[in-house]
Amino acid sequence: MLKKRIIPVVLLRNGAIVQSRLFKRFQVLGVPSAVVKRLSSWACDELIYLDISPGGSYSFGREDLNYPELSGISDVIELVSKSCLMPLTFGGGIRNIEDIRFRLSLGVDKITLNTAAVENPSLISEASKLFGSQCVVVSVDAKKNTDGRYCILKGGKELQDKCPVKWAQEVEALGAGEILLNSVDRDGTASGFDLELIEQVASNVKIPVIAIGGAGEWSHFEEVLLQTKASAVAAANIFQHSENSVYNLKKYLFDKGFNVRKPLKLSHLSSNL
Amino acid sequence: MKRDPQTINYCKKCVYPEISVNLVLDDEGICSACRLQEEFEDLNVDFWPNREKKFADLVSWAKAKSTSNYDCVIPVSGGKDSYFQVHKALEWGLKPLLVTYHGNNYLPEGQRNLDRMRTALGVDHLVFGPSIENLKKLNRLGMRMMGDMNWHCHAGIKTYPMHVAVKFNIPLVIWGEITWSISGMFSSYDYVQYNKRTVFEHDMRGFTIKDMINNEEGLTEKDLAWLVMPSDEEFEKTETKGIYIGNFFKWDPNEHAHFVKEKYGFEFAEKPFERTYRTMSNLDDMHENGIHDYLKFIKFGYGRGTDHASKDIRSGYLSRVEGVQKVLQYDHVKPTRDLARWLDYVGMTEKEFDDICDSFRDPRVWWIENNQWMKRNVDGTVSSYGKVRIPKEKYSKYKVI
Repeated sequence: MLKKRIIPVVLLRNGAIVQSRLFKRFQVLGVPSAVVKRLSSWACDELIYLDISPGGSYSFGREDLNYPELSGISDVIELVSKSCLMPLTFGGGIRNIEDIRFRLSLGVDKITLNTAAVENPSLISEASKLFGSQCVVVSVDAKKNTDGRYCILKGGKELQDKCPVKWAQEVEALGAGEILLNSVDRDGTASGFDLELIEQVASNVKIPVIAIGGAGEWSHFEEVLLQTKASAVAAANIFQHSENSVYNLKKYLFDKGFNVRKPLKLSHLSSNL
Repeated sequence: MKRDPQTINYCKKCVYPEISVNLVLDDEGICSACRLQEEFEDLNVDFWPNREKKFADLVSWAKAKSTSNYDCVIPVSGGKDSYFQVHKALEWGLKPLLVTYHGNNYLPEGQRNLDRMRTALGVDHLVFGPSIENLKKLNRLGMRMMGDMNWHCHAGIKTYPMHVAVKFNIPLVIWGEITWSISGMFSSYDYVQYNKRTVFEHDMRGFTIKDMINNEEGLTEKDLAWLVMPSDEEFEKTETKGIYIGNFFKWDPNEHAHFVKEKYGFEFAEKPFERTYRTMSNLDDMHENGIHDYLKFIKFGYGRGTDHASKDIRSGYLSRVEGVQKVLQYDHVKPTRDLARWLDYVGMTEKEFDDICDSFRDPRVWWIENNQWMKRNVDGTVSSYGKVRIPKEKYSKYKVI
């Protein structure tokens, strides 16, 4: 029986790691790599790292920090994969096969497609033929339109007249290996996951669905595992709010008998990060 | 994609420039800290009662866990917030152990405030201070490496109390303000607790003991044992949690200052500060409002005047027009009193100090015109701020007119 995965997500925007709220409001947390090092020490199942920068800027712009100045996305990926001790999924700004190949060559294990998947669906099949479907994650951002129907959002901005369930089935047929399903209306609200949406999508595809959007307390993760067929539960903001967060969540779920990996022993070495 | 310093934006509501540390200006030109304040004003009526309930649960948990021990550690500088933290803890029946990292920069009135806590509040107090010689070394290293001679304070204040809590098996550590309100890093409903990453990134700027030893100053690992954090396993075993009191009770520093002055005899500054109009902040460290903050102006083009005015605009103590005035009056002032003390303390000349300062100017704020540093001010005007001291070959980093 496959274990259910718990996956932290890190959002990079204009050179800084941010919290996101409703895809609209952003709050700076820190530099691109420190958080990765921290998550690695809690032995997370995986890490999803998404570049959501609107412009092409990757500079943190601070010379008074012990931190290298980064000039582009390749610097970021190199730095991240160096400090990442877990499988790494990277997304954002990927438009073609070359973009994917380049990221894999820097140590990324899987990539996510969002805009490119909508604009050029054949990229999904091409990529999964070349690199294997396990490498291709399609990111689906669902948002209710004015009639209250779920639609998908392209590139975090443009609402498409496309239902997430149908879209998920299409990308599955094209060879996607996994779906990262986000609820735009729950993003950063800490009010709980959109269980209805997750269940709709997860019960209509055979590939794994990673659910994200709305985690505010450990019990929210429990709800997803109990009430939906999602294979993995992910979150960004909440893991930044407390010490040993991912470890504590896994311990919470494991102690309750959920089918998650047993939390690994924490380090006995004194350290600042 | 270089930002043109001549077109730098300021928050429309407060007086922060867009490049302020960890700040974001949104599409409407309002900064993340003002947005956070708006959020705090719009909290629904259940918010604080719910948070108080959470605090009550933590108090019961800590008491049950500690039995014949201290219930909590309260890291204190002896400032207005320290008094408020201890006041709250006592109000809830906790038995606290006060812990101070003493950075050797106290103003006399600040030191008196610190010493008075044992008398006025009737509590036990542990003061830790590194060797003065080692502090001088750390001052010099911080200044040279990152333009922050007070790095050791920011680090020690955050690390040392955790060592005490973990070693003595004390379950709760009660920190003060939710420091991220300065930049709006987190939201009201993010239940944020103390964690290593924020300390490493923001208090320690990514520098650790490794960067401070094996160099010209000759510090050793043993000199700086207090700089390293307890292990993750220790935190897990003791279940020691650091919480921020500002997450449970409404936080108004102006109000708190007057309250603790009345109730406990807390003293304000005797002389007005050179770089800000407030007289109840930073008495524990003459350099925080002085050269440490002057370096912030040198780096990012804003200082404590901006910090205090922005907070006071948000909480309605100042209008924006008044705030702008305060910024123009205070931000750029080069401090004299504490600079003289510091140069003598660490054995540096003023020229060396000025040269180091100049090497940290941020090209997103400063440009060079006729060998002068230029900056766009919060009121839209442009002023020059002194002679450029960096060598000509370093000009390329900046916009030169």
